[in-house]
Amino acid sequence: MSSPAEQQQERIRVGLIEYLSRHTLDEDYARIARDRPGRRSSWLATGAMLVTLAVFGVLVFTAASQTTRNASTSARDRATLIDQVNARRATVQQRNEQVRALRRVNDRLDTDLLAGGQKGSRVFERAQRLSVLTGAGKVKGQGVRVVVDDAPHAASDRNKVLDSDLQKLVNGLWEAGAEAISINGQRLTNLSAIRQAGLAINVNYRPLTAPYTVLAIGNMNTLPSRFAETTHGATWFDLQQQVGLRFDMTTDRALVLPAADQLSLRYATLSKEEHR
Amino acid sequence: MIAAIGLVVGILLGLVLTPDVPQWLEPYLPIAVVAALDAVFGALRAFLDGIFNDKVFVISFVSNVVIAALIVFLGDKLGVGAQLSTGVVVVLGIRIFSNVAAIRRHIFHA
Repeated sequence: MSSPAEQQQERIRVGLIEYLSRHTLDEDYARIARDRPGRRSSWLATGAMLVTLAVFGVLVFTAASQTTRNASTSARDRATLIDQVNARRATVQQRNEQVRALRRVNDRLDTDLLAGGQKGSRVFERAQRLSVLTGAGKVKGQGVRVVVDDAPHAASDRNKVLDSDLQKLVNGLWEAGAEAISINGQRLTNLSAIRQAGLAINVNYRPLTAPYTVLAIGNMNTLPSRFAETTHGATWFDLQQQVGLRFDMTTDRALVLPAADQLSLRYATLSKEEHR
Repeated sequence: MIAAIGLVVGILLGLVLTPDVPQWLEPYLPIAVVAALDAVFGALRAFLDGIFNDKVFVISFVSNVVIAALIVFLGDKLGVGAQLSTGVVVVLGIRIFSNVAAIRRHIFHA
């Protein structure tokens, strides 16, 4: 057996792989055999060796069984994946058939639409006429322009335009035959609310500030006079005289009223029955 | 003879208990087995050479397994686990091969 210094020399001389294959055996075996020849090993050491070998057996067996188990697991995973792929493929096929069926339905509906074009255009016209009345559509026409404002140097609510005043004005205009009304660009529908909220008056839940310009489409020749005949018209003339609110009504040949922003019905839905 | 009994007892124990290897230990098991194989073949060669000593065997077995697992663990922590495992397997493989060759020479005298 060589000394450590010689071993070092050899390691440098022959290279790592060569050195490894020359010194494969644990050198302690040889050293102990040389130092203590013929010495019997103790029972304890023999027992330890037995235990070690048993551990080795367990190790080998466990590693092998673990590998087999993993292999079977991955095989199972693979089978599951294949199943999934096949299922998805079937889904795709089914969807393609659905697409074809829908396309056929679409074609049929297209021809129906062409056939029902006449009827459809009548319905469309009716809807447009209705949109004028409901406020869903932008409209133009002759009518009156009413500008109302607070009294000059208004100090109290008494000489300011209140929501109730605006309500009276609008109701009077409806009564006088107005077909469409807007306040400061807010088109009134049958669901519009005119409400005081703090300092501002909210129309369609939008705050407006004075002066208020009310546009009303109707017969420009009869609207002012018929408005004056209504009770609300009379109230307004009183307000103008007594409180000093500003009220200017002029006729206009070409008024343009915007469509209402929101026409959301919260409770009513269309009945499925044929509506006339 | 007595060694073979120990081996058989171990395999039977493994068969009966079928120990479930915890997840964190799984990557170290194969390398530990290879290291153990090296120690066992070394012991067999020493036995045939007539210089076997059970104390040396136990120590070399334990240290082989622990060091091999430790190297792989360190490699995993450094991100070179696979490469270090390969290195360990190469070195142990060379040792196993030449030990088995020596055993073969003992048995077949060739």
